[in-house]
Amino acid sequence: MLSVKNISKSYVDHKALDDVSFEVNKGSIFGLLGPNGAGKTSMIRIINQIINQDEGAIYLNDKEITYDDVRKIGYMPEERGLYKKMKVGDFLLFMGKLKGLSRDKCIDSAADWFENLEVSNWWKKNIEDLSKGMSQKVQFISTVIHNPDLIILDEPFSGFDPVNANLVKKNLLRMKEDGKTIIFSTHRLESVDELCDNLAMINNSKKILDGNTDEIKMNAKSDNYIIKHNNKISPNDKLFSIVSQSKLSNKLYESELSLKKGKSYRNMFSEISNDVDIISFEQKVPNMNDIFIMKVEEGKNG
Amino acid sequence: MDKIWIILEREYLQRVKKKSFILSTILTPLIFPLFIAITVFVLSTEESEERIILLLDENNLIEDSLEFQNNVLIKSYVEISDIQYQIDNGQVYGALEIPKLDIYDPKDLKFYSKNVPGGDLINGLESLIESRIRDLKIQDLNLNEESLKKLKTRILMETYTIDLDLTEDSDDEVAVKQSNSDIAFGLGYFNGFLIYMFVFIYGSFILQSVLDEKTSKVVEVIVSSIKPIQLMMGKVLGVGAVAFTQIFIWIILVTFISTLTSMYFGINSYETTQIIQSEEEISNSKEMVKGIYEMFGTIDIKKTILIFLIYFLGGFFLYGAFFAAIGSAVDNLQDASQFTLPISLPIIASLMFMGIVLNNPEGNASIFLSMFPLTSPILMMARLSFGVPDWHLFISILILIISVVFALWFAGRIYRVGILTSGSKISYKLLWKWFIMKNY
Repeated sequence: MLSVKNISKSYVDHKALDDVSFEVNKGSIFGLLGPNGAGKTSMIRIINQIINQDEGAIYLNDKEITYDDVRKIGYMPEERGLYKKMKVGDFLLFMGKLKGLSRDKCIDSAADWFENLEVSNWWKKNIEDLSKGMSQKVQFISTVIHNPDLIILDEPFSGFDPVNANLVKKNLLRMKEDGKTIIFSTHRLESVDELCDNLAMINNSKKILDGNTDEIKMNAKSDNYIIKHNNKISPNDKLFSIVSQSKLSNKLYESELSLKKGKSYRNMFSEISNDVDIISFEQKVPNMNDIFIMKVEEGKNG
Repeated sequence: MDKIWIILEREYLQRVKKKSFILSTILTPLIFPLFIAITVFVLSTEESEERIILLLDENNLIEDSLEFQNNVLIKSYVEISDIQYQIDNGQVYGALEIPKLDIYDPKDLKFYSKNVPGGDLINGLESLIESRIRDLKIQDLNLNEESLKKLKTRILMETYTIDLDLTEDSDDEVAVKQSNSDIAFGLGYFNGFLIYMFVFIYGSFILQSVLDEKTSKVVEVIVSSIKPIQLMMGKVLGVGAVAFTQIFIWIILVTFISTLTSMYFGINSYETTQIIQSEEEISNSKEMVKGIYEMFGTIDIKKTILIFLIYFLGGFFLYGAFFAAIGSAVDNLQDASQFTLPISLPIIASLMFMGIVLNNPEGNASIFLSMFPLTSPILMMARLSFGVPDWHLFISILILIISVVFALWFAGRIYRVGILTSGSKISYKLLWKWFIMKNY
């Protein structure tokens, strides 16, 4: 649906993006990952045409994106806020009108979203009287009030409390099921595993990795296993090495074992089970943080 | 365009609904007359503490125990010994020393006091002594008071302007209109000052409004659905509409109030002027009041209001654009002040040049200042009541409009970068870089 092709962008004193490309499929959730200052916000601002790229182009459904397309995007910037002196209803009407919505549609849509986000009707409340969690919800509603097909959220979970963050996640997944496409950025890499189908990682203005989330994880899978068991495991130099072993309680140990090259985990399992009772046995899957650090290290070495 | 309208509408309604706006709009036209009334009241009832002035007079010019002005008592005194002590500890206010005088060349008069005396007191004492010396001179020269009075002449010149167009175009038989340069002066000053006030107040409203959007971080949410230049235009127009509303209500209120006062002066002009002491002054002030209303009858009010509104809007947009650019660039009000100063300078300078323009409305400096766009909104209004050729007005307004377009374009280029940039140290160099940046 959206393709980003060879985007570069420089500011007065530094380069923010260097030849970044990626694809976002329709009806999927796409994560733009990277530490603070990597260039995520610049990328998102360029997609939204808030700033212009120096080189490259953005295509929406195979056509170069226009200003009218941008109007239809639901965009929640990282730097977000509300007019403190307005009423919630007036603000939502204002935002809806800017997106080209009629007054009646605005009111209907807001009512739906109040329900989705489990809030009572705040239409007449003053924004300055809202709690932080409440204003976050209003912020989110103002982003999606025009029922956009493409939703772009810059650091959506920063500033949200866990309950609200979960509520938003739930709604993002629901919108995905309705066929919406969602792009979001985050610097908290570990929080995205369960949410995004595809992702791209940016570091120091360059893309260092992109693809399907599950595939990326499978590829980065190591030969380490986390085992919970009831007694000490004795070392077996031919089959595995013990990375760590700790006693959690009287009859519970947790160990991380590294399988030797060319050996099968089945052998390791049966070998250990001769010694101890195995309570759980799982392959250690790296989280996005580990993968990111791995990739950055690779980049430095290569 | 409909987006600019949405921004304008929000900005306008937010401001107009504010209590402070409603109060200031209704009260300000009432405050000035009220202020004058209070001053008059205070002056007429003022009773200050009794002040004693010791007199060392070797000529017997002034009699002992003379009540002078409000509660000032002049007492003769012979000894000079402890005078300094009495003044220092506050027993007496001061001492007046008049040495033996040659009435044709009086000098070395001295006044001593603990604090610097007010101008009123010194002027009063001086004119008291002058009038006493005058009496002595009359005696000395064997003149008599009657013939002296006859010597005095007072001339009031009536000034007229000639405008031949008027006879051709209208039914008026005479092309000659009575004019009054004092009133033109007052009116010019008033108009110029009004624009000065509005440009300043509403200019800082724009700055505040842009800055609020930036600090409350709502701005990026908005520029995802509207171009920054549209947002800026909507904002400037919205604040401008508020200013327009206010001035419109003021014009109506002032017309109403002045109609009331003119009725009041017509019926009872003596009571209001009775605090002014000499009869001459009473007749002068009566003439003034009468003159003002006559003057308003002779000037073309419709044209004045129209031109006022043009310069008002022109000045507002010109400076408003700059204020918007500053508001977008800085992160807080404190940082804004270093940039508002150079922009305020031409406005403040205009007020200072107003004296030049009002005293010589057709001088080269006046013509230049009423053309130059940064000063023309205030100074052309100052010139206007003296009569300005139409082509001067035309050129001045044309220059102003071109400057407004340029200023808005200039401000827009800074604004688009500024509103999305926070935390950087703003300098003129950086602003220039933003301005010339092609891609943002």
